[in-house]
Amino acid sequence: MITTAWICLLSPLAAAVLITLAGTRISRRLAGYTATASVLVSFVAALITFFRLLDEPSEERSHVSTLWTWLSAGELEIGLSILVDPLSVFMMLVVSGVGFLIVGYSIGYMDGSDEERRYFAYMALFVFSMLLLVQSGDLVILLAGWGLVGLCSYFLIGYDQERPAAIAAAKKAFIMNAFGDATMALALFLLIQRLGTLEYGAVFDGIEGAGGDWALTLIALGLLGGAVAKSAQLPLHTWLPDAMEGPTPVSALIHAATMVTAGVYMLVRLSPIFEAAPEILDLAAGIGALTLLVASLVALVQTDIKRVIAYSTMSQIGYMFLGAGLTAYSSSMFHLMTHAFFKALLFLAAGIVIHALVAEQDMRRMGGLGRALPKTYAAMLIGALALAGIPPLSGFFSKDPLLAAALDAGAYGQLLWVVGIVGTFLTALYTFRMIFIVFGGEPSPFVREHLHRPGHTMPALWMAWTVGALAVLAAVGGWIQFSPFWHPISDFLDPVAEPGVHPSGLEDAVTSVLAVGLAVVGIGVAWWIYSARRAEVPRWAFGQQLLEHKFYFDELYDWAFYRPASWVANAAIDLVEGPLILGSIERLTEGTRLAATRLSEVQTGLLRTYALALGGGAALLTLVFLAVKL
Amino acid sequence: MMGPDVSWYLILSSFLFTVGALGVLLRRNPLIVLLSLEIMLNAANLALIGFARHLGDTAGQVFALAVMAVAASEVVVGLGLVVALNRNRVPLDVDRLSTLRG
Amino acid sequence: MGDVLVWVIWIVAAFACLGSGVAVISFSNPFFSALALIGNLASLAVLYLLVSAEFVAAAQVLVYAGAVMVMFLFVIAYVGGRADAPFEGGPSWQTLAAVIAGGVILVDIVIALGLTTSGRLDDEAEVAVDFGGPAEIGSVFLTNHLLAFEITSIVLLVAAVGGVILGSERRR
Repeated sequence: MITTAWICLLSPLAAAVLITLAGTRISRRLAGYTATASVLVSFVAALITFFRLLDEPSEERSHVSTLWTWLSAGELEIGLSILVDPLSVFMMLVVSGVGFLIVGYSIGYMDGSDEERRYFAYMALFVFSMLLLVQSGDLVILLAGWGLVGLCSYFLIGYDQERPAAIAAAKKAFIMNAFGDATMALALFLLIQRLGTLEYGAVFDGIEGAGGDWALTLIALGLLGGAVAKSAQLPLHTWLPDAMEGPTPVSALIHAATMVTAGVYMLVRLSPIFEAAPEILDLAAGIGALTLLVASLVALVQTDIKRVIAYSTMSQIGYMFLGAGLTAYSSSMFHLMTHAFFKALLFLAAGIVIHALVAEQDMRRMGGLGRALPKTYAAMLIGALALAGIPPLSGFFSKDPLLAAALDAGAYGQLLWVVGIVGTFLTALYTFRMIFIVFGGEPSPFVREHLHRPGHTMPALWMAWTVGALAVLAAVGGWIQFSPFWHPISDFLDPVAEPGVHPSGLEDAVTSVLAVGLAVVGIGVAWWIYSARRAEVPRWAFGQQLLEHKFYFDELYDWAFYRPASWVANAAIDLVEGPLILGSIERLTEGTRLAATRLSEVQTGLLRTYALALGGGAALLTLVFLAVKL
Repeated sequence: MMGPDVSWYLILSSFLFTVGALGVLLRRNPLIVLLSLEIMLNAANLALIGFARHLGDTAGQVFALAVMAVAASEVVVGLGLVVALNRNRVPLDVDRLSTLRG
Repeated sequence: MGDVLVWVIWIVAAFACLGSGVAVISFSNPFFSALALIGNLASLAVLYLLVSAEFVAAAQVLVYAGAVMVMFLFVIAYVGGRADAPFEGGPSWQTLAAVIAGGVILVDIVIALGLTTSGRLDDEAEVAVDFGGPAEIGSVFLTNHLLAFEITSIVLLVAAVGGVILGSERRR
């Protein structure tokens, strides 16, 4: 079991290295097959690990395996160690399973791109990094995986190196993630200072004695900072919409299914630390609720099809933060899984639409694609219904228990419950706004001119069957757990992170009815406005302005951070770089030249000067000797 | 010995030497420079003679005669140079003989 | 009485010596400088006489003042040394540096002499009457310092040859 876990981790790394080393000696297709095969190997290995783990009794399902110890300083020992327990195996399955489908899809999507090999190497590297993150056996490896996924995200967002917008988006993502990495690292420093160790077991045991309240709060806050940055929650969320500059499969894998869920994973994995600082947990839940609301609102006015889905991701992860912050851990993880299915489905189906319209992403130019691309329409519809939480699709089974748990969490939880319910209405609204604009009605002029239907070529087949697989998963994936009646997932994950809230049957029922009802109302409103065109979109200039500018977060950050920083940089150039550093070099050369000029005046060429030099020099020397003698 | 003793002669000799040195360093005409060199040599001679009397050793006077002979030889060569310079119409100015300028 | 006379002669000769030395380096006309040097040599000869170096004094007057300086005067007359501005030209610091160097040389000599002859300048040796006479000089030259004698003759020979070559016209 440990061996298969290592195989799962290292297989994509091997593929990345192989593709890099092989360079142009292998064909682009072959690079794609290699990457996909390696992730499939990962998935199979994860599956085997899962079944072996199931053989064990639930109390003993935690194994740490260390490859070697690479840092030993005093009492602190850090090694390359992985942890195999229900939570990590769960994430391994999700990451490698969905990853396999998305990398396979990329074979079709990226076909014809010049640098496919670089793309697949990066994708394989990313899968490895994400697996490292979820399999980490101590906090250092977690941080290492954290940084690596951020790096791969930077590589992949900026994949199209010719476009300045893509490069800028990659930089933005990396910098904001780096901020989160920094707060996490600071938290780890504090942890080392207090406890002297970074292994999960030792840390969790020693949490009680980790010193005063403020230290624990700071540690939890630092860790939360990393989670907020990685999962694109408020206030560190502005990088996610821009990250849509990357290729669509990248958006699907990194910014929907896996990397952005790392924050949720961390909240669950490090739950003992957070539970020791309950204010931070409440803060996490609050951030989740706020993000959920803000993202849904902004999604209502987006015109780029990928950005709608991006804001939707932000919003759904807000749900997960809400759940984890209220200690409903297994529900959050379940929602993570179903979200991976339907969000990846939405992105990949959108990718087929974009491909068919020759890279056009603006929804205002689309329309009537339902008739032109029927299968894609069906897939996207399934994804949208799942997202809205309509039974019997997967979203219903995961989202509602999450909300119901909030009801059980005191007054604060009930407030957040209201926010979540409102969010369900908005989710359905913006999702079906997108569906109706893109697929409903008559084909727009743009579509008539540029539509290029996917044929039955190899690339198209790869795209088709992977989307189909995801559609099936999004449809039936939720049936694995229907909360009050059968709950294998909760049973599997609860020993790792004990939930603190237990919704009663009544709370479950009320929540479900309300949520589904509001979702149907949302779909209806969307249909009313966008499909049947029986009403105009209400015009409220201020609101429209606010939403279109995404609540002015980007402008705020520009004013608060970018301008002061560039002012300081310019001042440094003017005051320090110019006069001091460059100036010192200039003055050095000037001084040397001056000295040389003055000294060269001694060489007058006159006999008398040389006689003077001789005589005077001898006289001086003699004087010195005599003085010494005296 | 009657009159001043040897230290007076030595003082006079040092002053004379300095005067000659100043002449070498300050004058531009090579002839004057040669004359100044003569002064320096004579100053040394004076010191030699003084010490010869003080120590009662004739070797000092013998040495002074040798110096005189060498001074004469050097003057011969120096004046020959001056004559050669003049024949090639080089102006008699030590400052003009400055091909050593850097 | 004799002592006073010797002192007076010494002072007069010393001043004449220094004065003519300064005159040598001060005159702008080289002819006058050469004449001043003759005066210098003459006063030096007087000083030599006072120190019982009769032969050297005679040689000084005959050889130095008589032959060498005459040669000088011949060349000055031939070259036609014009009066020139004596202390000009050269870099601005030349004069000052030269004067300072001269001062340092003077100080050097005084200190060196003082150090090496400390305390030993008082006891004088007694000399015979014919101390500096030709017989004495000749015998020392040809016995103790024969090598110096021979080498000096060679130097003179070389200088004479050199002078002739320097002065001769180039064969075309």
